[in-house]
Amino acid sequence: MSSSADGTTASLYVPVDCEIIAVSDLTPHEKLFRLRLKNGAPLGHLPGQFVQVSLLGWEEAPISVASSPTRTDYFEMGIRRTGSLTSAMHELTAGDLIGVRGPFGRPFELPKLRGHDLLLISGGCGLAPLRSLIHYCEDRPEEFGALTILYGAKSPGDVLFKDDFALWETSARFACSRTVDQVPEGDCYSGGVGLITSLIPPLEIDPHRTVAVLVGPPVMYRAVIAELKKKGLSSDRIVVSLERHMRCGVGKCGHCTIEHLYCCQDGPVFWLNEIEHLRGAL
Amino acid sequence: MQNYISQQNFNALLDSLISQGKRVVAPRTNAGTVLYEPLANAADMVIDQLPRRSGKEAFFPLCEDIMTYQKEGQKIELQDIDPTRFLETVLVGVRPCDAAAIPVLDAVFSWDYKDEFFLERRKKTTIIGLACTQADDACFCTAVGLTPADPKGADLFLTPLEGGGYACETQSEKGEALVANNKELFAEPNGYKPLPLAEPQTGKFDLKKVKAWLDEHFEDPAWDSIATRCVGCGACAFVCPACHCFDIVDEGTEKQGKRRKNWDACGFWKFTHHASGHNPRDQQPKRYRNRIMHKFKYYDDKFGQTLCTGCGRCIRLCPVGIDIADILQDIDKIEVKVKVEENS
Repeated sequence: MSSSADGTTASLYVPVDCEIIAVSDLTPHEKLFRLRLKNGAPLGHLPGQFVQVSLLGWEEAPISVASSPTRTDYFEMGIRRTGSLTSAMHELTAGDLIGVRGPFGRPFELPKLRGHDLLLISGGCGLAPLRSLIHYCEDRPEEFGALTILYGAKSPGDVLFKDDFALWETSARFACSRTVDQVPEGDCYSGGVGLITSLIPPLEIDPHRTVAVLVGPPVMYRAVIAELKKKGLSSDRIVVSLERHMRCGVGKCGHCTIEHLYCCQDGPVFWLNEIEHLRGAL
Repeated sequence: MQNYISQQNFNALLDSLISQGKRVVAPRTNAGTVLYEPLANAADMVIDQLPRRSGKEAFFPLCEDIMTYQKEGQKIELQDIDPTRFLETVLVGVRPCDAAAIPVLDAVFSWDYKDEFFLERRKKTTIIGLACTQADDACFCTAVGLTPADPKGADLFLTPLEGGGYACETQSEKGEALVANNKELFAEPNGYKPLPLAEPQTGKFDLKKVKAWLDEHFEDPAWDSIATRCVGCGACAFVCPACHCFDIVDEGTEKQGKRRKNWDACGFWKFTHHASGHNPRDQQPKRYRNRIMHKFKYYDDKFGQTLCTGCGRCIRLCPVGIDIADILQDIDKIEVKVKVEENS
């Protein structure tokens, strides 16, 4: 078996080298990393997939790809500083190397989304994985019907991808709404305040040609799904991407299981009707 | 095809395999504990004892290197492990409860992605199974559908005979090759009688009935009494022939070290803990429930097999006396009660 020094390896568990091209701040806690595989090949992912990011000495963590495969020169990941690996990652700068394994997991099912109106709903960090799909829609608008983006963050300071949002909000192709749960005193903020669920009742949607895609923190799903159902969306028209503690990423190590499913391989993207009956899924 | 081999010739067979450079793994005493370990001499084998841990570690070691790494400035050197260099192995004296778990593990290590570490070792290992003649209070293989003479998983299956030696049955091409390559050590059946088989005392439970209850009772007050004692030590998973969860960890520094696959256990609180603080199985009863569910429902739902062979190791070792066979019997009874109520 070849060493991964040349960027190729046959081993399931050995990462390949990946170069950081640029790092930018999204918020005080989140950074956007732009990366390229050292061997020059495209990552080969689809929207909704993740990679196992490897930092030597810091092990691995599953991170969603935040960019669309339609943009092949690089890929991006939005990473919150939250554990030991992500804290070490935040110390890195352009030119540094990390390792990646993947891409892994079941992506958003583009063939089934095409031709539909999409409700793209995310909360907090969930915007990072969803951004891969939003960018895909941006680049291939002819494949979809009406595109609506809903986003909720904890506070104005936690809003991710503000530059992207500025573009989406002025684009004729997207209808955007965003909200924050609360505004700290003294914060000058003029946007909407309230939970993400408050953005759904005002929408006019055709439940027969709409698919809703949800990515958010675990606490978000039940409440948002309840609102979507009030709008007449059935479970086979709601897509969720679930977060679990994935270690191997390839359906072996057992950490990410949801009943009999391996979130890393059977998911992380599921149609709601596949998992809503599983206990402990949402 | 049946054949006979004396204990002396069996030892000669193992010594010959060792001298050919094969790794011969068998029950052996190490600092007072019997474990499956590589033998230097067949005489070191204690084939009449069930090792503390199961035979799975011949394929899935407690710790194994994925790669070693060195980093200097921007220069990273990864040295990965070449599974093709794994040694040809003969795993000897494997009780039916251990051998039967091995094909069950094949399912998870070969669905979707292939785990080359497990599968390469599996390919290179010949398993010599052994009919079981000793049961203790914890044994319950017969309760989960196996028998002390079940050859499932073995390539060559031995039945101990009165007066010593073994009746041998080949179960696969690997087993046939082993006998064919050493035929001078085997003799015609000699008319000896087999030793009486072990007789586990736990009554059979209906695995379909247990699963039917689990299917419907993810939330049930019974879980509190079943799981409340569990202290999350993970001992049950570490001695289990069918548990296969692992972690991927770095042992070393940022500059140099090893990345390894180490056994893990769903009973540990950290097993499902996210860096964000969220934990889908945030309490010990939820984690113990997962252990039972995984063995008797989830693995069956995914791979059509039960993840328990009744070896009883978890019962022998649990520091707080949790007895999985008792739990299954209780579940079996609950279901019977429900059915009786429905019929009356």
